This record gives sequence, structure tokens and C-alpha cells, in this order.
Amino acid sequence: MPRSALAALAGAAVVAAALPWLLDDFLVSLALSCLMYVALATSWAMFSGATRYVSLGTSAFFGLGAYVSAWTVAATPWPIVILGGALLAAAFAGLAGLAILHLRGTYFAVLTFGLSELTRHVVTYGEKQYAGTVGRVLRAVPSNRTVYFTVLAIAVSAVLVAVAVRRSRFGLALIGIGADEQRAQTLGVPTRWVKVAGFALSAAFAGAAGAAMAVRWTYIDPTAVFNPLIGLQTVLIAIVGGPLSLTGPLLAALVFSLLAEFLRLQFPYAYLIALGLLLIVAVLYLPYGLAGLWRHRTAGRAAAAR
Amino acid sequence: MRLWVEIIASGLITGGIYALVAMGLNLQYGLMRILNVSHGEFLMLGAYLVYWAHLVTHLSPFLFLPPLLVAMFFVGLGIHRVCFRRLAETTPEVEAFEARSLLVGFGLMFVVQNVALLVWGADLRGYEYLSRTVSVAGVGFTANRLVAFAGAILLGLALIVVLRATLLGRAVRAMMQSPTGALLVGIDVRRLHPAVFGVGLALAGAAGALLSMVFEISPSMGEPYTVTALIVIALGGFGSVTGSLLGGLLLGIVEALGMHLTSPSLKMVLSYGVFMLVLITRPNGLFVR
Repeated sequence: MPRSALAALAGAAVVAAALPWLLDDFLVSLALSCLMYVALATSWAMFSGATRYVSLGTSAFFGLGAYVSAWTVAATPWPIVILGGALLAAAFAGLAGLAILHLRGTYFAVLTFGLSELTRHVVTYGEKQYAGTVGRVLRAVPSNRTVYFTVLAIAVSAVLVAVAVRRSRFGLALIGIGADEQRAQTLGVPTRWVKVAGFALSAAFAGAAGAAMAVRWTYIDPTAVFNPLIGLQTVLIAIVGGPLSLTGPLLAALVFSLLAEFLRLQFPYAYLIALGLLLIVAVLYLPYGLAGLWRHRTAGRAAAAR
Repeated sequence: MRLWVEIIASGLITGGIYALVAMGLNLQYGLMRILNVSHGEFLMLGAYLVYWAHLVTHLSPFLFLPPLLVAMFFVGLGIHRVCFRRLAETTPEVEAFEARSLLVGFGLMFVVQNVALLVWGADLRGYEYLSRTVSVAGVGFTANRLVAFAGAILLGLALIVVLRATLLGRAVRAMMQSPTGALLVGIDVRRLHPAVFGVGLALAGAAGALLSMVFEISPSMGEPYTVTALIVIALGGFGSVTGSLLGGLLLGIVEALGMHLTSPSLKMVLSYGVFMLVLITRPNGLFVR
């Protein structure tokens, strides 16, 4: 990661922190959903981009975080709520990871998708049985500004952790698993634990984001917070941005939340059609995402200079 | 006793449709490693086309089955050409190809489902067809369910016979067993892959047509069938078409019994639970020794 890119990221964070004083409520909420996608896509790419274990389970972690918030926010200090969401999601991902991370490729993707649907149905059933309702209204929630800065902090720490992971032996191990798992294992990487730890770490951010966003919605139910669309949108942003880059997903999250905000309300069907087409085009024509475009160009320039 | 026969029979009838949906999906996955999660959307498309044709002409929906199979086959050729051919060329490595084709499938699912919502709206629609009750061995069924079951089983068996007995079927099976070996003996992938993808979609469309005779249809009807098909494939083994037929019937019975013994609201928990358990413990399917 070059120094200039880090400086750009720091600048973006400072601008994001100043936004609540500069913009009106609508634009701030737009910035909020953008930050949420930054957190989700960056943490997804940290594990799935590096190891190439495509996880569609982000919705499960996000939803669990949201429910932690719904269960505890009235009686618990706010930072503990967020931490609780992160920890529950990470613990759940760790346990699930132990059971399913020996399966690669399609099996893993389909299993994580099944995992989030199973979680949704179990939570629905549990809430019906023990709470008597399916949805929950969140009362006594923190102010919008607090939520904004919480999500900003989650997004910034996701990016910082992603940078730190990349520079660590742990990050190298993740990339090694993505390149050739057997070789990594032969070279002494404890692949199983690295995978479980990476999966849990990335889930923690999704859980924290879910816990923070739940209070923003004031009413949550399993269909909304375990929506598979959350997981798919995360994958889409990370892939459109470039699963191996840091700045790519940031840019994609920005473009994407603008698109979502302006299309979703007026033309919900058209929005989802556009989403599908974008996903297909990105997978077919941009295997390295937007980041691949400019990397390609700089590589071409370097070749020309030589 | 009578009750159990009824439960198992109705489970088998649902299972027949499950089997047909899963066989098409599994054929595609087994041959090309494309796990097409938009499979259920093409089932929905088949249901709507037959519904519409029946509404316009008032002819028996069964008459539209052959043209529907042909039409869906060509839709499949087109989709393979646009989406998957290029992907297969640019991504030679199997694992990366599987992951990417899965994402393309999700993209297709969004596109097809929402185009359908845009065109037809979200309402439930349906038509009356053979809705009188028939009694078989003392147990009563509506005639359309029996007819749909017979249609599903016949198409499923026909597919198995084609795979077993014809040269085309042998080529497909050779390709499944050893892609390199099949290439060496001169099997043409560039013709076989699109054709098999088309057959998969044709079967999905046929399943939708049969369903439209029994149940009401809506643009979001396909997704649960995709999930069910994934469960059936996991039960019967990825790539095994006969396994899918057995797995589909089995899942139909398990679901009917499970819902009778517990509660209908646990249906999805049961389905996903079975699915995860089988994938984790027996990733090659129940019937593999």
C-alpha cells in the first residue's frame, strides 16, 4: 500500500467526519449507508478476497448484530451493544467456520448462503415462540449523529485492520491459502486456524455494522436484517471494486450507495435489474474490478516507459 | 394407516416436481460446473408462458409442453452464449469458474425475477385445470396433481434413458467423468455445453408448466424451488442425475412427514437444517458408497 493511498484514505475519513456539519439530513443518511457498505465490503474482501472462499453469509452476521442491538440497546451502554454485536457475529462465524471451512468453491458459497437463511428462519421461529412477535421496535436509541460516528468508526477500523492484516504474516497466510491451499499447508501455515480466524474477524465488522444500523431503522424484523440482498450487495461491491484492492471497494461503495438511494425508492424493480446486470458485467468483464482498470493502465504505462 | 398413505403419497407428488427441477440444475452443474441459482426463475418463466398460452387459447396446458421445452431450450442457448461461454474461456481454473458462474447466476436471478415483476406485477394468478377429485386405492387426489406428477416422472425418466442409452447421453456422461478424456476422444464441448444448458432450462420450464396446473403462480415462486433443488442435489450428490430423482422424491416425503409431525412453520428450518447437515457430513450425497 503506497503512502499516497494511505494519505488519501486518511483525507477521506476526515471529510467523512466533517459531513454532519456540512450537509443536510438526507445527504448524511446517504453518507451513512455508503460508510456501512465500506465496512461490509472491506471486511468481506479481507477474508474472501484474499482466500477466495466466496462467502454469501454476510447477512447472517449483519442480522445477528442487528438483533443483539434490538435485544440490548434499551438497557446497555452503546459501545457495549456494538461490541456485543461484533463478538456474537465473530463467535458464530468461528463456530460455523469450524464446521464448513473444509469445503471450498461452490460448496462453501452455497453453505454460507444456506447458513444465513437458516439463521433467519431460526431467529424468526425463536422470536415467535419466546417473544410472541416477529419484529421489534427499538426505543431509547442513540442520536443520529452518534450512529453516524459509530458507523464511521467501524468503517475506518475495518480499513485500518485490512491494511494491518495485509502487512502481517497472518495476511500473507490468507493470500497463500487463496493462491494454493495445499502448498500453504505444506509450508507450515496452520490453514484451518487461519481460515477460521479470518472468517471470524471479517464477520465481527459485519456484526458491528448490523448492531449500529439496527437503531437507525427503529423497527427490525428477520426478513429485513437477514435479507440475502445484504450479503449479495456486499459481494457485488467488493467484486466491482476489486476483491484484492483497498481503494476499489471504497469507490464502488460510493457509486453503489448513490445508485441505490436514487433508484431504489422510485424504481425498485429497475434498481434490482440494474444490480443484476452490473453483477454479471463485473464478473464477466472486470475480474479484478475497477481497481484492475487503473492497475492495468499504470502497468501499461510502466511497460511503455521501459 | 390411511393417513400415512395419504401423507406419503402427497409427499411423493411434491417430490416428483422437486426431482424434475433438481435434475435440470444438476445436469448443468455436473457437466459444466455452473451452479445456476437462477434456475427457479426459469421455472417461473415456464409457468407464466403456459398460463398465458392457456388464457389466450383455452387449450389444454399439456399441449403447450412440447413448444415450451423447445422455446426454453433456445433461451438456454442464448443465455449460455451471452453469459457463460466467455466466462469459461477467460477462466480456465475450475474453482474460480465455479465461484464466478455462481455470481453470474445471482445476477440472472435478479434480472429475470424483476423483469417478471415489472411485466406481470406481483399478484398471484392461476387457472382451473382438472380440479375434480379422483380416488386412487381409497385415497382422494385432485386430478391435476396426479397429472403433474406423471408428467414430472415421465420427463425425469426420459432424461435418464437419454443419458443411458443414446450416443449424446454417453457423450454427456463421458464429459462428466473426465472432461480431458472426453475431449481426447473427440467430443465437441462447444456444441455440447450450450445444448446441455438448454436442456436444463427446458426441464425447469416444464416443471413450472406442471406446477401452474396445480398451484397459483407469481414472479417470486421460483426462488424456493431453487433452494429446494439445491437441497435435493446435496442429498442425491452433485452431478448425479439419478441421485436427484431419488433425492427429490425422498425430500418430498421427508417434508410431508416432518410438517405433519412438527409444525408447518418449521418447514424452512427443517429443509435448511437437512441441507446443511448433509453438505457438512456427506458432501458427495447420501447415495454414494
